[in-house]
Amino acid sequence: MGSKITDKKRKSRDSESESDDELANGLFDGILSQSEDEEDYLPSDDDDDVEDSENEGTGASEDDDDDDDDDDILSDDIPSDVDSEEAINRLVKQQEELEITEPGVDPKREEDDGADRNYRIEKDANGGERYVYDEIDPVYDSDDSDAKGPVNTIGDIPLSFYDSYPHIGYDINGKKIMRPATGDALQSLLDSIEVPKGWTGLTDVDTGNPLNLTQDELELVRRVQMGLLPTDLQDPYPDTVEYFTSIEEKMPLSSAPEPKRRFLPSKNEAKQIMKLVRAIREGRILPYKPPEEREREEEEQEEVHFDLWQNEEPQAPNPMHIPAPKLAPPGYDLSYNPPEEYLPSKEEREEWENADPEDREKEYLPQKHNALRKVPAWGNLVKERFERCMDLYLAPRIRKNRLNIDPNSLLPKLPSPSELKPFPTVAQTIFRGHEGRVRSVSVDPTGVALATGGDDGTVRVWELLTGRQVWSVKLNSEEPVNAVRWRPTKDAFVLAAAAGEDIFLMVPTHASVTPALDQASRDILATGFGYATNGQQPAAPVSKEPAAKWARPGTKLEDEGVLIRITVRSTVKVINWHRRGDHFATVSPTGQRSSVAIHTLSKHLTQIPFRKLSGLAQTAAFHPLRPLFFVATQRTIRCYDLQKLELVKVVQPGAKWISSFDIHPGGDNLIVGSYDKRLLWHDLDLSNRPYKTMRFHGQAIRQVRYHRGGLPLFADASDDGSLQIFHGKVPNDQLENPTIVPVKMLKGHKVVSKLGVLDIDWHPREPWCVSAGADGTARLWM
Amino acid sequence: MGKLKKKGQSGQAKNYITRTQAVKKLQLSLPDFRKLCIWKGIYPREPRSRKKVSKSATASTTFYYTKDIQYLLHEPLLQKFRDQKVLEKKISRALGRGDVGDAARLERNAARPDKTGKPRYTLNHVIRERYPTFIDALRDLDDCLSMLFLFANLPSTTAVPAKMIARCERLCLEFEHYLITSHSLRKSFLSIKGIYYQASIQGEDILWLVPYKFNQRVVGDVDFRIMGTFVEFYMTLLGFVNYRLYTAVGLKYPPKFDQLKDDQGAELGAFALEGVNIATNDDTKAITNGEAEHGPDPKVQAEVDKIVQQLRVESDDKASEEGPADDVEGEEKPSDAIDKFEPVAPGGDVLPQPSYSSSDPAQLFSRLTFFLSRETPRQSLEFILRAFGCKRIGWDSVLGEGSFTTDESDPSITHQIVDRPVVQAAMNEEGDGEDNQTSQKVGPNHRYPGRLYVQPQWVWDSVNDEELKSPELYGPGAALPPHLSPFVKPTQGQYDPTIPLEEQQSEGEAIDAELEDANEEAGEESDVENDMDVASDEDEEEEDEEEFDGVSVSEEEEGSEDEEESATLQRQRELEAEISGKSVKGDKKMDAKTKAKLEAKKALERKKKSEAEDLERAKGMLSKKKRKLFEQMQYTNNKKSAEDLKLRQKRRRLEKEKKA
Repeated sequence: MGSKITDKKRKSRDSESESDDELANGLFDGILSQSEDEEDYLPSDDDDDVEDSENEGTGASEDDDDDDDDDDILSDDIPSDVDSEEAINRLVKQQEELEITEPGVDPKREEDDGADRNYRIEKDANGGERYVYDEIDPVYDSDDSDAKGPVNTIGDIPLSFYDSYPHIGYDINGKKIMRPATGDALQSLLDSIEVPKGWTGLTDVDTGNPLNLTQDELELVRRVQMGLLPTDLQDPYPDTVEYFTSIEEKMPLSSAPEPKRRFLPSKNEAKQIMKLVRAIREGRILPYKPPEEREREEEEQEEVHFDLWQNEEPQAPNPMHIPAPKLAPPGYDLSYNPPEEYLPSKEEREEWENADPEDREKEYLPQKHNALRKVPAWGNLVKERFERCMDLYLAPRIRKNRLNIDPNSLLPKLPSPSELKPFPTVAQTIFRGHEGRVRSVSVDPTGVALATGGDDGTVRVWELLTGRQVWSVKLNSEEPVNAVRWRPTKDAFVLAAAAGEDIFLMVPTHASVTPALDQASRDILATGFGYATNGQQPAAPVSKEPAAKWARPGTKLEDEGVLIRITVRSTVKVINWHRRGDHFATVSPTGQRSSVAIHTLSKHLTQIPFRKLSGLAQTAAFHPLRPLFFVATQRTIRCYDLQKLELVKVVQPGAKWISSFDIHPGGDNLIVGSYDKRLLWHDLDLSNRPYKTMRFHGQAIRQVRYHRGGLPLFADASDDGSLQIFHGKVPNDQLENPTIVPVKMLKGHKVVSKLGVLDIDWHPREPWCVSAGADGTARLWM
Repeated sequence: MGKLKKKGQSGQAKNYITRTQAVKKLQLSLPDFRKLCIWKGIYPREPRSRKKVSKSATASTTFYYTKDIQYLLHEPLLQKFRDQKVLEKKISRALGRGDVGDAARLERNAARPDKTGKPRYTLNHVIRERYPTFIDALRDLDDCLSMLFLFANLPSTTAVPAKMIARCERLCLEFEHYLITSHSLRKSFLSIKGIYYQASIQGEDILWLVPYKFNQRVVGDVDFRIMGTFVEFYMTLLGFVNYRLYTAVGLKYPPKFDQLKDDQGAELGAFALEGVNIATNDDTKAITNGEAEHGPDPKVQAEVDKIVQQLRVESDDKASEEGPADDVEGEEKPSDAIDKFEPVAPGGDVLPQPSYSSSDPAQLFSRLTFFLSRETPRQSLEFILRAFGCKRIGWDSVLGEGSFTTDESDPSITHQIVDRPVVQAAMNEEGDGEDNQTSQKVGPNHRYPGRLYVQPQWVWDSVNDEELKSPELYGPGAALPPHLSPFVKPTQGQYDPTIPLEEQQSEGEAIDAELEDANEEAGEESDVENDMDVASDEDEEEEDEEEFDGVSVSEEEEGSEDEEESATLQRQRELEAEISGKSVKGDKKMDAKTKAKLEAKKALERKKKSEAEDLERAKGMLSKKKRKLFEQMQYTNNKKSAEDLKLRQKRRRLEKEKKA
């Protein structure tokens, strides 16, 4: 229904426009000369239109209509008349006009619109044109340019799909478009006999109606079939009329010469082009490729394989580089099916579960699965890997020397305990009698008698084994006896003792001393008097005070057995005999340059070997075998050759204050005790530095001493009240190092006013030692 | 007189540089610096004296060698990082302006390996620098392989792009293929963490861990950016290593990869190795065991298989026969094998030579045909079987593409690997394996005759012991023997589960154990006695502890205590006997036995004591430094031996339980 209405409307509009045309004709007569001619053709157009509208009756679209109009235009130009020349002229004219008129306005269009123009052109007050538009009938669809007749909406499917249905599709409202009635065979025969105008025998695909074509359309089809131009133009390619380019003006607007840029190639453009060329050459600009293809290509490019180590050359590893340690291989307990003893007990499991993850010794608990399919995923795997990564790049690496050795190999090879024996272990005898400290002890070379000297100024001789005092003499009532030493030969029985600045030589008499021995001793001491009286003392210059005064101590002492008194300049602290018994050295630390003195018994002669001594002399001793003399100052021990009279060696124990030292009877080793609690063993052949340093004492070491009778023992005495006995074996082989083994700690002496054991001495043969304590006793250890 | 040295101008103070300083010097961001350090293998150092280096700053910082950082300054990658930084700035600026199109364009140009899995730069030169020789690279392959195998099994996330995973997987499979063709896999171990493999390539032992095929759980704070950086490096490394290994055995790299098969889960089977020269082609074909074979019906195929197998065996035989023949011929055919050097004249030194005549890993499974049941781990089994010479492995089609046969009833199958429990109904039949194999029964426990049914552990144990283990122990549903790690090297004095207990326990332990036995036999009725045992045990433990501390004070006292104790024990026994009304005689008989033991024990203790004394003395002679070292060593040793002791005790108890 709607379509009919629109049709009517259109018709009415058409009719209106026709009237407009008439109007326009009158108006534009002078301007558009061709419109008149056109008007002549129009009626036939109208006829066509009418026919078309009849044909379209049910569903022709307006588009078709427009097409028809276009056809009309085409047909306009087809000169149905004879005089073609006139037509050509007219066409040329028309084109000229087209060129001249404003480019925006299409003259043809104007003509088209002439048919259904909806405006009038009036003259306004100024005499110009004025378009007056028609009133719009504001009905539904009035502004709908798309409104069409019933359009089949089946889309792009062939109509044959609907062959078995009574309808051929649906219109826009979903209503069925019924198939137009088709006659039966007879009817069609009849139709074929009575051919309507424009009959083709074809069926319109869209509508199902028989397709009729107009004459013009047929002509067009024919032309297309013949391969001719579809329109009947005489010259499809007419020469262009060049108004501006080819016609040289007689009077140019500007007479300026042609600028250079007109005929020179542009440098700027060349530059830009070169830029592109370069980019293409360098591959910066690539021809376009679809993204997926480009991706694929990139992937291929990425996987470039070649032998990276083709010409490998081994390099020495950088010493600073520490390769990452490898992870430890898995042990038995990591197995999915470990031996059962590796499985944790209940307590262990609880302990592990309760522990903080950081405190756990292992990060896993051994588990047992009785089949492989039951093994679950290991949840911490990613984390463990991550931690390993962190370790690899974040953990500082340190080269740690892991000693993959048996710890027992570190231990020194010690002789077996049976080999170390004998050594003193218990206090066998205690010698009491001294008032105050016992300062010095000495065992006589026969091993029978013990001499002690103490703060009370007495020298006492004891029977070693029994502890009975056999002899005693008071040397000085004020000064303590600082040192007592037996003469080290068995042919005589001479004791040297120092009290204050005096040195006494005495022959103690007691039961065990035979008269012959006693006499021999007295003779030895007496010979020097003759020497002295003979006046053969060339060394001592007269002007100088003699180093020492040898004299008889007086009848009272002489009766006791003290035969000689030697007076030196300062207090004597140490006495040490030469092994032959003819010389002895004394040291008086306060004595400045005369601190060390060597006394010759046979000549009653005292010599001061050092004009000058660096440091305070502490102690001095003769070498047990060779003519060497050792002097200890606070820091060093110097060794002098007595024959050549020169310094042989300086031993530096490194102690702050040397208290005492002793030379091994073999002569190549030395032990040094120091007030800074150290006991040092020196190998004289090896180095000036100590071979071993032992620090087993809590207090200062007062005295050190080797065993002289062939046993590999030495002992030290300390202010902490203890003695320490060491096994110190010096091998015969020069290349071997001495073995030093601590064997015993002897405790017994009491510490009195921070002084413990002051002196020790060994028995000449047995593994016994005697110690002198600040508690007023001397003890025999065996 | 030289110039006065200023503090902090030379030596340690100059040799080290803090991380912040390093980052500033390189003008990098911290993540970039981290990346660079990971790739270049630069790690922090611990200065000998922190105080000197840190110039009195107390905050704990990480130090790097100044020289290391200087060396980084010349790194070409540095420029890439800077470019990237510039680009990022541009992008952010564009975004700030709201210029989305521009930002997108810039973004497209950016190389984002963390998103796409492929960088715009290469790490080739870094690898060459870090590993100047191929051997160096092999030496460092442990972590690389563990990492890549893990990543090959990770689910893809935003942090781990799918491409990266795919590439990891490919590289890993390629490496596995190399191991299969070169037969260089040596050992493998099923642990609770995953499967450890050890291969020996060019004399280097490489050990890596492959997780079980499960979805990996990612726990807590794991930074995948760091892992990704490592993986990027390792992927490049393994690519080059693979190339080198492939070319060394005359194969083309990369091998042909069949995407279709891979999609069907063929894994190893998705690769087709190609020889550079045609001679190696035979081997490569064998790996992708004849797909064409399982088209026709099983009967025909079985026959064909049989014939093929016969032929193969024959050819093998021929080959083995030809082998010695060649030897006889001697010089005509040069071979790669090492020649045996026999001394011509006596008196020369004997030099050891590697011999691989005894057990060639390529021969272990070469004559067998396996079928894997559905429940078995196909990937690992396939790999390990192939690596040890197996040519034909079939599995259920559920397990993926690439099997020799998917037909379980194939008669050429010699071994079937099953990991399912025996269904209850058939329990009575399950008694001994052979019956099962002969009985033809349809059902869940259906067994095909003529083949051995074993659990997967059989494969691993066989591989580690380099011989085919007897299948009886590994039958379906059987309690498996313990699976032991092949990587543990037995050391003297350490507990070894393979050796019977009697051979490795100490004297004291043996006596204790026997005593305990005796006590248990005798004193089952008397609880008090047991209490006493416990008490004495405790005493022992205390003693032990004291020994471990390295202090043995008041030993004499203890000794006397022990004696007292034994006396009281004796008295107690007598009293008990009286109370229970039994004759003391029986006890005394027992006593006679145990007395000797007790005495032996006492003697042992005495010996121990004296040894401890000696030790003390010897320790006194050591310098302080050495003593500390010694004590440390002793501490660890004692800890280890305590662990061993615990294990032995547990085992003793278990064995006793088993007997009872």
